[in-house]
Amino acid sequence: MMNVFWGIMIFFGLVIGLLNGQQGELVTAMITGATDAVMLCIELAGAYMIWMGLMEVASDMGVIEKLSNAVRPVLSKLFPKSKSAIAPITLNLAANFFGLGSAATPFGLKAMSELQKYNPNPTVATNDMCMFIALNASALELLPTTVLSMRVVAASNDVYIVVVPTFIASIVAFVTAVVCCKVFESIENKKQKE
Amino acid sequence: MEIILPVLLVIMFMMAAYKKTSVYDSFVRGAKNALPVLISILPYMAAMLAAINIFRASGALQGFIDLSSPVMEFIGIPRELTPLVILRPFSGSAAIALLDDIFKTCGPDSYQGVLASVMLGSTETIFYTVALYFGSIGIKKTRYSIPTALISGIAGIAASIIAVQLMWK
Repeated sequence: MMNVFWGIMIFFGLVIGLLNGQQGELVTAMITGATDAVMLCIELAGAYMIWMGLMEVASDMGVIEKLSNAVRPVLSKLFPKSKSAIAPITLNLAANFFGLGSAATPFGLKAMSELQKYNPNPTVATNDMCMFIALNASALELLPTTVLSMRVVAASNDVYIVVVPTFIASIVAFVTAVVCCKVFESIENKKQKE
Repeated sequence: MEIILPVLLVIMFMMAAYKKTSVYDSFVRGAKNALPVLISILPYMAAMLAAINIFRASGALQGFIDLSSPVMEFIGIPRELTPLVILRPFSGSAAIALLDDIFKTCGPDSYQGVLASVMLGSTETIFYTVALYFGSIGIKKTRYSIPTALISGIAGIAASIIAVQLMWK
């Protein structure tokens, strides 16, 4: 699916750029994008090292195990087949919920590598992975910190007016993601049985 | 809010001292794992940002926005918000820049400004997340995860419009 989306974006970018007479800028635009990725990676490296370092300290102390035992009853319903991934998944969801974007991604990547340990077919996503992606695609946040600080900067008269509708919309997206995942899962199960 | 994290860390380091955990060794071991992870996601980031950049620089994005904004307006999304809705799944930084534009042109307390805030806060960079998370472990077949993420994103946008319209009355 990524092949299709990516291919379409590059193809239309090239064709429309040529029609608009921007042949000189097209390759430059792609290279600029890739350079941005390198810069972003370097910026992220600091945050990733801090979060993954602290996570290792916590896990060596057994804190992570206790935490995941506490939430296992709930999360193991969503992720039935991935025992050791529960802890990083919890940290990822908690980081998202409290608006710690810089921590959410390293925890999420750690969760993916744990989920991969239970995958019989390493190039095909498991049900639990799809569920994890779905939860991450619907940003359930207590406070939309980035948006709020931007509203402050823009001199809004009522910065917090957006909090309640944002929370409602996030919950709708979150629940839709879970339900959708389960529906797709059962459809695929039925197909396999037939 | 800001106080939670430092306090948690204080508790953790006190426990570490009590349990005599070798915190420095643990930290370094964890931090070392961060670098291979970053290197493994870099090509996926590069592919994504290159595609977004060429799509934008060529004028294809503007064309797509011009084409889709009548449809968007029909379903209750103001013209000014079309670029935000389209770019949001691909790039968080682009979405933030667009929200800033909307604040400057329409004002943060206008209907457009509030709706854009709610939409940005309740949706995620779906394609970026999928590319990074699956890329980092070498998954090729993403199965139903992209459709699920898109449907949940659309549900979030629809809920944003309804919630803001209800509040506006």
